[in-house]
Formats: sequence, C-alpha cells, structure tokens
Amino acid sequence: MNLRDIRILYFRELRSALRDRTIVTASILVPILLYPLILWLAYTGFTFVSGQSANLKSRVMLKNVPALHLLLQQQLRSDPDIEVTTVLDPESGVRNGTLDAMVEFMPPNDPSAMEANFRAKIMYDESRDRSGTAESRIEEKIRDYRKKDLERRAGLLGVSRAAFQNLWIDSENVSSNRQMAQFFLGLILPTFLLVMLATGAMNPAIDATAGERENSTWETVMTLATSRSNVLVAKYLYVATMSFTAGVLNLIAMIFSLRTMLAPLFRSSGADIPLSIPLGSIPVIVLGTGLMALLVSAVMMILASFARTFKEGQSMVSPFYVVIMVPLMFLSAPGTEFTPKLALIPIMNVTMMFREAIQGIYHWPLIGITVAVELTCIAAAMLVATHLLRVEDLVTGTYSGSFVKFALERIKPIKPIKPIKRRGSPQ
Amino acid sequence: MPAPISVREISKSFFDEGRGEIHAVNAVSFECREGEVFGLLGANGAGKTTTLRMLSTIIAPSSGSASILGHDVVTDAENVRKNLGFYSASTALYPRLTARETIKFFAQINQYPPGRVTERVNYLIERFGITKYADSRVDRLSSGMKQKVSIARTVAHDPRIVIFDEPTVGLDVLNALEVQDSIRQLRSEGKTIIFSTHIMSEAEKLCDRIAIIHGGRILACDTLANLRDSSGQHYLEDIFIHHVRDRA
Repeated sequence: MNLRDIRILYFRELRSALRDRTIVTASILVPILLYPLILWLAYTGFTFVSGQSANLKSRVMLKNVPALHLLLQQQLRSDPDIEVTTVLDPESGVRNGTLDAMVEFMPPNDPSAMEANFRAKIMYDESRDRSGTAESRIEEKIRDYRKKDLERRAGLLGVSRAAFQNLWIDSENVSSNRQMAQFFLGLILPTFLLVMLATGAMNPAIDATAGERENSTWETVMTLATSRSNVLVAKYLYVATMSFTAGVLNLIAMIFSLRTMLAPLFRSSGADIPLSIPLGSIPVIVLGTGLMALLVSAVMMILASFARTFKEGQSMVSPFYVVIMVPLMFLSAPGTEFTPKLALIPIMNVTMMFREAIQGIYHWPLIGITVAVELTCIAAAMLVATHLLRVEDLVTGTYSGSFVKFALERIKPIKPIKPIKRRGSPQ
Repeated sequence: MPAPISVREISKSFFDEGRGEIHAVNAVSFECREGEVFGLLGANGAGKTTTLRMLSTIIAPSSGSASILGHDVVTDAENVRKNLGFYSASTALYPRLTARETIKFFAQINQYPPGRVTERVNYLIERFGITKYADSRVDRLSSGMKQKVSIARTVAHDPRIVIFDEPTVGLDVLNALEVQDSIRQLRSEGKTIIFSTHIMSEAEKLCDRIAIIHGGRILACDTLANLRDSSGQHYLEDIFIHHVRDRA
C-alpha cells in the first residue's frame, strides 16, 4: 500500500465529488436541511391543525340528563367552547362529522348506588381531531363537576373531601427533564443518523464504481501506475468520508433543530426539557458514526461495483438501504436493552451503543464487543472487495448480474465455467 | 538491445454463456523497436483491443507472455504501467476536473518526479495548445479540446511507450488529423508507439511497421514496402484483403 498514491487518488475523488451537484446535495445539503425541515414542517403542521380544532366549538348532544344534575347541563351549555345541539340520529352524526360527541347519561350499574349517581357514556370519533377535542372537553367538564359534587356531599356528611376520598394515587417520575430529553434523543437520533449515513454513502459509492464505467473512465483507472489495492482504498476512504460527513452534519443539524422545535413543544406541556446530549458521549457517538460509515460504505461499494450504469447502481444498492433500516424497528420497541447478544448484531449494536451514549450510559464491555464486531465486518467486506478486484469480468465491466447472483454462482455454479489457463491477474 | 515491447505467443480466451469459449487472441507474437510506430491493422473484432488491453495490464493473458521495457505485464504490472501511456477513443476524462487538474493528476499518480510536475503540466498545456481553457472543467470543453487534453494526460508522466487504441474512431476529419499529428510528434520525441486501427490510410501514413491481425492471429508483420513486395499489391487495403483471403 502506497500512502502517497492513496492520497492523490483520494483527493481526486473528493475534488470531483464536491463539484457534483447530486453528491453535494445528498451528502451535505440534505443532511443539514432535510430533516430539520421535515421536523419544522411537522411541528408547524401539528401546531396549525391542533390550533384549528382548538379554536372550533365542540358540537355536543346531551341525552337523558338526570334531573338531579341539571347544574351540569347548565355548565355545559354555558361553556363557550361547547355548543349543545340536537340531531335525529346522533351516531350517524358523529360518524359523518355533523356532530362531535354525544353524551348519554345512564343509571349506575350497581343497583345499591345512591339515588343521584349516574354513568356518562361519551360517543365520539377518535379519527377526527375535532371529535377528540370534544371528548376531552366533556370529560374534563364532568370530572370537574364530579369533584365538586363529591365535595358538596362530603360537606353534607360533615367530613372533609380529603377524608371522604380515602385513597390517593401519587406518581413520581424520578427521571430528570434532562434524562427524559436524552431518552427521546436516544430514540430519534440513531434513526436519522443511520438514514443519513446511508444517503451520504450511496451516491459516492455508485459514482466511484458504476459511475467510472458509465463515464468511460474505468479503463483509464486500470492503467494508472499504482496498485489496484491503492485505487480501492482511496475510493473506499472517499465514500466513507462522504458518509461520515453526512452523518455528522445531520447530527449537528438535528440537535439544533430539536432544541429549537421540540423543546418549545415540551415547554408548552409544562416541562422545561433541555434537548442536548452529554459532552462525554460525543467520542462514543463519533466512534459509532465512523464505524457505521465504514461498514455502510464498504457494503454499498461492493454492491455498486456490479453495476455498469448509475441507474443500475441505484437499483443494486437500494435493497441494502432497506436492510439497514430493520434494526431501527427493534430500536423503537419499548424496553429494548443493550445486551451482549445485541452487541453481536452489526448495525443494531452501533445504534444501541449510540442510543445509550446519548442517555449518558456507557457499557464499556458491550462497546468493546460492538467495535470488534463492526471491525470484523468491515475487514470481511474489504476482503470481499479485494477478491472482486481479481475477477477480470468485474474489473472490465463485462460481468452481467448482481452481487447476489455472483455469490450464488461462486457457492453453487449454475453452469460449469470452463477453466481457462491463467497466469494470474495484474495488480 | 532488447525490444521495448515483446509479445510471445500471447492468447486470450473468454467464456460467454451464450457462445461458449471465445479465443479473442490466439498465440500472437511480435516485437516493437525503439522509437517506431507499430501498427496493428485489423477489422472490428480482430483482437486488436484485447491485445492492447493485455499489454496495458487491464486484462491478463490466458497464456503466453509479454513485456514492456523488460517488465512482465502480469508479474510486474505496476512498472509496466509506469512506463506506458494508454489512449483509447472509448475512454473519457474526469468531467468535473479542469484540464490542468487532469494532467497534473495523471502526472502525479503515474510517478512523474514530484518536484517537476508543475513544470511538466505547464509544458504540456503549452505544447498541446490548451492554455486558453486549461482551467476550464473538462465537461465544458468541445470534443476537439477534450481530445488534446486526453493525449496530454496520456503522456503526462513522459512514458517511453504509448499505446493508441483506435484513437480516431468517432472523430471528425480535423480532429483525426490532430491526433495523427500528435502521434508523429511523439515519434519524433523518440517514443515507441503501438497504434491500432481499422483505417488503412491511417496505418499507411503513420506506421513504420504494420501487423495485420485477423481472427485473433497475426497474418503478416513487416514494413509497408516489404508487405507490398511479399503480397504483390500496392495499396494497403489490397494487401490486407490478400492476407485475409489467403488465410480463409
């Protein structure tokens, strides 16, 4: 391996890439702008929609209001957010949106209950925001009425409400606001990071392999006065750099946008949550990002090296994009813990390591296993790539088929390939 | 003095799923002398490109051997490439680099002495008349300009051997003449040149010696004068047909 040659080749690749609109967009602009933009749109949209339904009056029908609770009826009628109305078929009304909720008052299930007791059944349509808002408003109103009614009855019996209540349930969330935020970031950031690492690697990986064939520059590369391993290493480092850059830029952009968009959301619900990650976790996050960039780049380059055009490259690499998303489904499952078994699963282990680091948790033995597993996978991918460099059909672009077809042929040849007397392959 | 290019019984076979084993080049042997333009003349599919690809180490021979300045094309490929410039009409330049960056990159990676790279790049820019657009991106150049940059990058590291594989295919007359002039200039600088073509007039004008290749075999190899004598034909086209029919 010649470091001077690798440096020259690497900077050639990088210079070309930074002048390519598609690569700059996918590896630099999208990581910075896309997800913050999506979050901003989602947040704005959510705020707008909830604001819209919050400003609308809830159209409610009351049925069989008990004579002893006419005060409740009065309170509902006088609420500025509630419009008491009557329709012929309330169920259809709720279903088709002409009515938001119907409250039916019924006698209690227990026959020994006190005379004034009642059950209230609220019929609403959860799929409609306005109907959901109506249900919340009515429930809150009835709860409030119930609380005051209990106080009144307790007063009549000469006991305080506290004595009358008998039992309380108090919950205490022991996690600090910071921990809550870190848990949230631990769930969301690895997902975006993995998507961005893959997006950042995809175009450069295709550009460095199929792109050379499509542009008819591959033959020139094969006649450069350097070993093909140097060419491979330089191209690999270039793809990994673009992937890593995309990941890091996305991470920075995401943290800033989460702080400016999600923090206000938490604040509006009464919690002042600082959406930031502990400084101590940054080395672990950078390590994880680097490992993932190296692995994703290696696999994508192997897959793309079978393509002869950019389009072919995209169709060959895209399935891997889906494959790396699978671990994220597990990640989002509640209660998923980082265990030694999970540490043995590539990609999954890094996302778990990343998630824990954001929460300020460091299981060093598991981090060690993760690094070892990822490095083994990267080394295996490099071995495969080195082997592929010796396959003349692939190098010259005359092989027709994907990596899967190639691997299957090597494992179980479909048609026996007549051996050709070879003296080796130029390096 | 050993020949700078020596090819001995070189063969190349491919396996095609539809057609089975194909012998693209079959026991081809020839030598090129120092400072000459050696032409490989043959129809499409004769084996010219495969032969030149083996010499430039893009593919390995199935059997036989070849050496460039004493370096074996299989076992010492890197040194072969260091002494070789490979130009083909089917290869392109990096579209997003400028002409200057392109020449500089090829000079550096092909091991031209680092301290003299800038001087060499400036010389080539001047020599090939590309000063005006030296700092323009290649994808913004006309095909004629690209042609010049292509030849400049081929000789950026000042190789002793230059291979031209069908260099004028797809070019208009003026650009083809430019390429031919460049080949003459390189010969005058003492380079050894292998030149493949299917255009008889080009071979007649440029080559010191011509090898007629057909069906993966060399049918004749000599100077034009000797080929005329041995075939009894004057025009190269007639000489070519004479040999091909003779073999058939």
